[in-house]
Amino acid sequence: MRRKLVSAILAATVVGSMIAAVPVAAESNDETLTVWCWDPNFNIYAMKQAEAAYQKDHPDFKLDIQENVYSDIETKLITAATSGDYSTLPDIFLMQDYSYHKDVTSFPDVFTDLTDSGIDFSSFSAGKLADSTVDGKNYGVPFDNGATIMAIRSDIVEEAGLTTDDFKDITWSQFMELAKTVKEKTGTPMLTTSGGSELVLEMLQSAGASPIVDGEVKIADNEVLAQAVEVYATLVKEGYMTEYTDWDQYIASMNNGDAAGVINGCWIMSSIQAAEDQSGNWTIVNMPALDDVEGATNYANCGGASWAVSSNCENTDLAFDFLKSTFAADVDLYDDLLVNAGAIASYLPAAESSVYQEASDFYGGQKVYADIVDFASQVPAFDCGAYYSDIRSALTDVVTNVVQNDADITSELQNAQDTVEFNIEG
Amino acid sequence: MQPKRKKMSLQKRHNLIGWAFLIPASLLIFIFCFYPMVQAILLSFKKGMGAAGVWNGIGNYTRILKDKTFRQCLFNTVFYFIIQVPIMLLLALILAQLLNNKDLKFKGLFRTMIFLPCATSLVSYSMIFKSLFAGDGFVNAILTHIGMQPVDWFQNAWAARFVIIIALIWRWTGYNMVFYLSGLQNIDSSIYEAARIDGANGIQQFFKMTIPLLKPTILLTAIMSTSGTLQLFDESVNLTAGGPGKSTMTLAHYIFNISFVETPKFNYAAALSVFILVCVAILSAIQMKVGDSRD
Repeated sequence: MRRKLVSAILAATVVGSMIAAVPVAAESNDETLTVWCWDPNFNIYAMKQAEAAYQKDHPDFKLDIQENVYSDIETKLITAATSGDYSTLPDIFLMQDYSYHKDVTSFPDVFTDLTDSGIDFSSFSAGKLADSTVDGKNYGVPFDNGATIMAIRSDIVEEAGLTTDDFKDITWSQFMELAKTVKEKTGTPMLTTSGGSELVLEMLQSAGASPIVDGEVKIADNEVLAQAVEVYATLVKEGYMTEYTDWDQYIASMNNGDAAGVINGCWIMSSIQAAEDQSGNWTIVNMPALDDVEGATNYANCGGASWAVSSNCENTDLAFDFLKSTFAADVDLYDDLLVNAGAIASYLPAAESSVYQEASDFYGGQKVYADIVDFASQVPAFDCGAYYSDIRSALTDVVTNVVQNDADITSELQNAQDTVEFNIEG
Repeated sequence: MQPKRKKMSLQKRHNLIGWAFLIPASLLIFIFCFYPMVQAILLSFKKGMGAAGVWNGIGNYTRILKDKTFRQCLFNTVFYFIIQVPIMLLLALILAQLLNNKDLKFKGLFRTMIFLPCATSLVSYSMIFKSLFAGDGFVNAILTHIGMQPVDWFQNAWAARFVIIIALIWRWTGYNMVFYLSGLQNIDSSIYEAARIDGANGIQQFFKMTIPLLKPTILLTAIMSTSGTLQLFDESVNLTAGGPGKSTMTLAHYIFNISFVETPKFNYAAALSVFILVCVAILSAIQMKVGDSRD
């Protein structure tokens, strides 16, 4: 009897799961948009706030926000594109900036061109906007800011007899001198990194250079890139920067004082702020610039995401208008997101609001948000091309081999060039 | 006259019933396993995405020969295979032999303990090994405690490969041991008695009797480990992320990267998958030939 019961339950479960797997037909409500994004405390929260804001003027408007991990979103895009069935796509989805070029080039039919949607793209920072712009067409509304910052521990720096102002607007050779002083006086390395090629690419971008020149891969014979790798290798070899392959150890190294600073996208601040006991001991400055490169700046970008409209969106006018009147216009929305989600806007007018002008106690009274938006506005545009992921991966190999095995930079860059060219020709 | 109802012979009817039971499962296997496999093989001869694909002959296969990253990943995979599989199988055999001892106390406990790693998920055990071998992890703490230098396990290619091999041995030895244990228990204990009476010592018994009698089981585990190692994925992704550089990346990890991380090249990824399939088939065929008990 019991066995029968068990098998009946099992059978019911199987049948139940089959029924559950049948997708429920989407409501054809005219005023509803489906959205895919991934972080309940960050971008999902942002969409909910945007929905509430838009509902004030459009009471029938509704968002159906579905939580999807980013890798799932990308897999679903690929599935839709390769099967040719775009009906599975939502109206709006969030895309990581680094895969925009790759996905727009590989699967152009997934995206809706936003160039003529009426959204004013000139009010976003140029460096950020370039990521979601492919062949001069806009495919995304920039969301969070990924401006590169250098966060430094003022107490450690001062212990070495320096001030945080010494680190503002400097070049890498000046930075090496300062790091040497800090290392000698306090024994603490100036920087920490999670390895890989991110920092090298940020240096490259800050100098207005790119691994892609006129659509051609330019990794070998790229003097700026060689210099960036050289700087990275020197930082590690001289002990000015410690590499952690594990993300948790990397975060811990900032929080427990194993490093006096870090260079990364400004989203790293939420991790820095996790160490509440260090309140008042941190300062945000811009990153060092490469020496002797014409047009080199102290500004770059790392990470961030933008909103895309899919080709499956039937009510594009509604989607355009929603994005236009929220993420491309609503300063109050961005104020809320800054306070409650820690999302720093890449929408430039937002920086003028009073919330952005407030001093932060954690950063010793610095107006960090206004500073970061200011950094973002000066980031040089960066053409990463469709093969950015391949380039990143090849450059990670270069950095690893140069740092770990003392490999020759020129020949390693040539190898990376060959690898990327090989990937492109396939 | 009554029309004579055509009767099936009992044999035929039994056969039909057998087929009726087989068809649902077979059909599902064909639709969800064999059909995609055939599609993947077709894909590997094409160029371009989805419906836009055009025939490319063996272009994707000749590309394999020119691929440096592939060579690196093949080297890593073969290295894991050559070092890890023999060590693991030998360990499993020794453990099985020890635990097969009738007079051993707490046998069940030991067996459970050795088999337990197999019950952990691939991802979670990878994470545990990652923290064990972290810069400030348990292993380095022990090393410094006994006066040795801590090792940057994941920043040195050979150290990272070593960690993967240790992890694999920990995870899979118990699994293979269970096969050997069941094999050992199928050997009649009276033949050992007879051997003892004839004056064979323990070592002779092990090499002259146990091993030959276990040959089918050893063959089975060898083939399973071969195919498992060539398809190694979770450890490479979760434990080392293929790093440093690509020095611990396995072929399956590379295929995943080609499809989902880098700019997608599904045709080439399919060609690499077919390559792995052929490798597994060839290696298994060799092992079956070597392990063939018929002379």
